Amino acid sequence: MTTKTLFIGLDGCTYTVLDKLTTEQPGEGVVMPFLAGLMANGARAKLFSTPNPLTPPAWTSIMTGRTPGHHGVYDFIRAEDKGGEVFWTLYDGRDIACETIWSLVSRSGGKIAALNFPLTAPAPPDVEGTILPGFIPAKHLRRNTHPREAFQRLKDNIPGFDPKELAWDFDNEKQALEKLEDDDMESWVRYHLPREEQWFKVAEYILENDAPELMAVMFDGTDKIQHQAWAFLDPNLFPAEPTAFEQRMRDVCLEYFRNVDRYIERLVTLAGPEVQVFFASDHGFTATTEVLRINRLLADLGYLEWAQSDGSDQALRREAADFANLDWSKTTAYCRTPSSNGIHIRVAEKEGDSGVPIAEYKAFREELVEKLLAVRNEFGEPVIVDVLRREEYFPGPFSLEAPDLTLVLRDHGFVSIKNLSPAVIQRDRPAGTHHPDGIFMASGPGVKAGMVERRRIVDVTATLVHSLGLPVPNDYEGEVPADFFTPEWWAQHPVVIGEASKAAAKRAPTEDMDEDEKKQLLEQLQMLGYME
Amino acid sequence: MTTAATPVADLEAKLIALLEDFTQDWDTAPDGGITGESRLLADLGFESIDVIQFMVAVEEDIAGRKLPFNDLVMKDGRYVDDLSVRQMAVFLTKEGC
Repeated sequence: MTTKTLFIGLDGCTYTVLDKLTTEQPGEGVVMPFLAGLMANGARAKLFSTPNPLTPPAWTSIMTGRTPGHHGVYDFIRAEDKGGEVFWTLYDGRDIACETIWSLVSRSGGKIAALNFPLTAPAPPDVEGTILPGFIPAKHLRRNTHPREAFQRLKDNIPGFDPKELAWDFDNEKQALEKLEDDDMESWVRYHLPREEQWFKVAEYILENDAPELMAVMFDGTDKIQHQAWAFLDPNLFPAEPTAFEQRMRDVCLEYFRNVDRYIERLVTLAGPEVQVFFASDHGFTATTEVLRINRLLADLGYLEWAQSDGSDQALRREAADFANLDWSKTTAYCRTPSSNGIHIRVAEKEGDSGVPIAEYKAFREELVEKLLAVRNEFGEPVIVDVLRREEYFPGPFSLEAPDLTLVLRDHGFVSIKNLSPAVIQRDRPAGTHHPDGIFMASGPGVKAGMVERRRIVDVTATLVHSLGLPVPNDYEGEVPADFFTPEWWAQHPVVIGEASKAAAKRAPTEDMDEDEKKQLLEQLQMLGYME
Repeated sequence: MTTAATPVADLEAKLIALLEDFTQDWDTAPDGGITGESRLLADLGFESIDVIQFMVAVEEDIAGRKLPFNDLVMKDGRYVDDLSVRQMAVFLTKEGC
């Protein structure tokens, strides 16, 4: 077996940071010299993410070539409103309604390796190759590895392989969006150094020993570090005369990126000169300076009522979770999770139910949009710059599972759903948040040098499939960027459009999901204590 | 003389085998092993994420389909505090597993 395509995912990676790290900087040199060489000789484009630029929907679009209205993944957490009760669950690999590239390549006779991608567990049964999923705690990694025996193989053959160091740790990950003290922030960044080294070692081992046709690994420390340490990475924010702490933070961030450069060099070298290499991020990054407490705003506007606590342990746990805890009988519009940036409108399914009568839905929604766009911060600036209606931005069979409205904040921040006042405040220090523009880069045989027009996130999948020499399914929503390649190579490798991808078997649109949606409720209440 | 296993006893055995596999990489092991009386949180040290993962494991390895676990974990509109292996086996029997 020979690897044809190497795909390196860099969660949340942005040119804002990358451009500086790949060029000579005073006192720092070139932090990522190998990547600098690839970028100088390769193709680059900004990559426009999903309408809510968030890890689960965006990586799922990269894995399927389809937008969220088709693949059905919108958030970490999935909820369904059943007239008086809202049920919560987590998305997992079975919730992806479209065929993943892992399955597509496998049924085309190829093997894959998918390391650290979200929603890859449970793995589709038809996958040929290795899936070591991301976002799974160490205790559950063995059972969620595909094939099951691959876990022991990695453990037996990779010196220093440590699932605890490698895997998602909820106690640590919950800090991503929390405000940390200085020492904790430094520890938070340092925690990701050995984690990433573990993923690199697994990737190195798989590439060296299995050489799957499609070798894919995702490094997610980029995202996690940038959330907390953005002020030390953004060239516009890092002070000319930093304090000792600020310099330490900058140094540890650079250490992380130096390591990533080393991983990239080793993997690209190991893959060999005949292999096309692609890099993509699920979204970019930028600074957020403001906090919108959206449910407080909706309460102030009369759309929402907070739940009354009865003081029980369950109620206290529920209160502590940063997860909408409301009096549903008196709530007509609310936000479920900070990561969704979405507003759900509660529609009364039948007479007597709480919520907005269906006949009044459209007018209700338009009035709400108007009120949201009118919100101003203390400086008189608009806080919400766009409100996305789901039928327009999430077309497809799973459109109705999207929030009715998705908010775009002026600083691209994520909303808070905490029950605190006032509704809009300024942050003490800028924090990192997701920007819709990520990165998409290529290098290797046939790749042309230069920056080209921005591409869409679904283009990544079509490009990977084409690079593997496979027909691009006719239901893919993206296109292969011709301007990534030399005219000669492009002429020799025309895009062939093939049959549609195969639908994933286990997912059905919302109306059939009543009972399934209700599962896992006990844990959800406690679970969200880990999530935020 | 042997007695034919009841569906509940059979499922209980499957659940115990699954739990033994499920917890093999955990630092803690329950005193006296896993039995039908073992409770997920109190005896096996489950946390919320473990319960989620275990329900997925039951669906994948025993049921072969998604299950309405809400019927098991909700009583009178509130969440139960814990679950025993036997309660799960009874639930699976009712679900025709």
